[in-house]
Amino acid sequence: MFSLDSVSKSFGDMQVLKPTSVEFAVGKSTVLIGPSGCGKSTMLRLLVGLIQPDSGTVRFDSEVMTPDKLTTMRRRMGYVIQDGGLFPHLTAFENISLMATYLGWGMDERKKRVEQLAELTRLPNAALKRYPAQMSGGQRQRVGIMRALMLDPPVLLFDEPMGALDPLVRFDLQEDLLKIIRTLGKTSIMVTHDMGEAGFFGDQVMMLSEGQIVQQGTLDSLIHQPANEYVTRFIHAQRIPHV
Amino acid sequence: MICLHASLADLLQFRFATRMITAAMLGLFAGSNVFGEANRDSSPELKVGSKAFTESVILGEMLCHLGRDAGASVEHLAELGGTQILWNALVSGEIDAYVDYTGTIREEILAEAARKGIAVQSEEQMRQELARRGILMSATVGFNNTYAMGMREVVADRLSIRKISDLKNHPELEYGLSDEFRERRDGWNALAEHYGITTSNIRTMDHNLAYRGLVHNAIQVTDIYTTDAEIPFYRLRVLEDDLDYFPTYHAVVLMRTDLEQRAPNAAKAFLKLEGLIDPSEMSGMTGRVRLQNKMEAFVAGDFLNNKLQMNRPLPSMSPTAQWKRVADRLLKTTMEHLFLVAVSLGLAILVAVPLGISAARSERVANVVLGVVSVIQTLPSMALLVFMIPLFGLGALPAIAALFFYSLLPIVRNTYTGLRQIPAAIRESAEVLGLDQNSRLRLVELPLALPSILSGIKTAAVINVGTATIGALIGAGGYGSPILTGIRLSSISLILQGAIPAALLAILAQWGFGMLEKKLVSPGLRPPR
Repeated sequence: MFSLDSVSKSFGDMQVLKPTSVEFAVGKSTVLIGPSGCGKSTMLRLLVGLIQPDSGTVRFDSEVMTPDKLTTMRRRMGYVIQDGGLFPHLTAFENISLMATYLGWGMDERKKRVEQLAELTRLPNAALKRYPAQMSGGQRQRVGIMRALMLDPPVLLFDEPMGALDPLVRFDLQEDLLKIIRTLGKTSIMVTHDMGEAGFFGDQVMMLSEGQIVQQGTLDSLIHQPANEYVTRFIHAQRIPHV
Repeated sequence: MICLHASLADLLQFRFATRMITAAMLGLFAGSNVFGEANRDSSPELKVGSKAFTESVILGEMLCHLGRDAGASVEHLAELGGTQILWNALVSGEIDAYVDYTGTIREEILAEAARKGIAVQSEEQMRQELARRGILMSATVGFNNTYAMGMREVVADRLSIRKISDLKNHPELEYGLSDEFRERRDGWNALAEHYGITTSNIRTMDHNLAYRGLVHNAIQVTDIYTTDAEIPFYRLRVLEDDLDYFPTYHAVVLMRTDLEQRAPNAAKAFLKLEGLIDPSEMSGMTGRVRLQNKMEAFVAGDFLNNKLQMNRPLPSMSPTAQWKRVADRLLKTTMEHLFLVAVSLGLAILVAVPLGISAARSERVANVVLGVVSVIQTLPSMALLVFMIPLFGLGALPAIAALFFYSLLPIVRNTYTGLRQIPAAIRESAEVLGLDQNSRLRLVELPLALPSILSGIKTAAVINVGTATIGALIGAGGYGSPILTGIRLSSISLILQGAIPAALLAILAQWGFGMLEKKLVSPGLRPPR
């Protein structure tokens, strides 16, 4: 689906991504994990074209991503960020259907699709008329997911999607989101720093540190055959309450 | 930007080009007759001007009466903001005639020629010099209205002051001097040097307000004109010019020489003023206006009817007619004011919003654009108005141009900050959805910046309503006209006839934009209850 070929990126003197080559397979869920500043978000932003690589090429569907093709390529990607990234001046319905309206879908067509998605994401119908400021954090995140799914893109990209949610809401939403990804058979790439979330979503976990991939594989392989001391320390740096 | 040292000819050429453009720009509004244009018939259409003091306005009305009596239709651009404005308007053909004074011509208008060594002392020399500039100078109207220094009799008696040289023995005196008298070459500085007076107790104030200052003892000395009607009324002492400082200021008609071809009858009629008015007649007329509340047009016409056995119709002074004039003036000034504000604000929105958008897109553009509009904002409004005259002449056009420039900053700045304040996450969300730059602007960024943009427009509108009042200084009309006349005549009622509607209009603008904001801005952007 995506591939990076010797891609690197610096901001000023800081090389946030060292030359990296990697493939994201169709139909698989990949989780990028690592501490703040490890380059995981940079990698995701390269994939959606919000930043351009200093060297190397990024491919989407085997096509090199060039600025002139970006706008149309992006309509085949769903992108979800923390707190949904919703437009505050539009209602939930308008947020979700903005691109469809822009592309000239009829009202009936849009309505049908939004209702279908509301059912899928378990968003109450009443929330569709609300503005983002009038919704709960969990609802905003569900609307963000619906917006990403509206045009039925083959790939979904998540940048710390649960970051702003409290634990109970997060727990439910994680369940729902996994079900959605599985049901629809989407390729997905998610950035998180939560080991539990990584294990829950990822067919494959890619651990980054200081701008490069340290190890990739199933969570199992990371736990049992850690590439180095850093991987082990990161995996065990999660606190579990003793009861 | 126009170079200040450009020659007048350059300015006039430039002015022609820009006037064509703005005329085209304003073509939309050509149907409305708010400029008070004269009727289009076969009679020549003339414009006369006057300065912002009563004697000048009366003489302007007299030129109107004489011109109309000779079959011309004459418009009076009354109470313009000073010698330079009138002189430039006369040379460029914005007006055809006005009355000025020999002292002013020598010291102000021909000062440049004098510096170059051309003799302009005698009236004949002045006449020749003006003729070279296409201006005809009449013989004297019959009185010498020179500057003098005045004090209240009681105060002067107490301090035993009779002559100007006595002033230097009283450093404690407070002076209230008119702006023009302080600034002009033959004004205060040269006088103080001539007489050896040293003081720092000087305040600059409007000539007409200075009388009030004298009465309330806020000041003790002011500059006056020898024909001022207030001299007897307030019991002022005209201090003797014992060291012969003040030059003579004989009133003369200045008119364009081409008038003799364009409107020969009116040109001849204007010259009937030569030798017509003696000093006591002049101060008598000024008194009737200032102290008996007669209209200038009435006093001027009445004088001509008596002196020249003319038969000029006089404006009725009955209460009904006066009230009708108040109502008419309110309607006229309202239309003029709305026109100034609406056109300048409309044009400013059309220019400033795109400027704000391009500034928000590039830091480099932002530095230049915000820098330039901020500098424009710091220009004193009067200076900006005067800059506009060589480009646009007199009347609504230069005022609209100046107001346009003043309206830019709030709108540009608020458009810029409104767009810049949109969180990166939201801008990026729109981008990653697959919207191109223009669609993002239209569907996401502008709607989000709208509250800020509208509040910038609101600020501009309110400033604009206030600033438009100074348009009266260059003949643009509006609520500034009654204020200006009110200051000249010390008439609170007249001042309020301009000030109250201006304040109401500002409040109305504030309220109207509030409503517009409610209507246009998404409910999602309102602060939660």
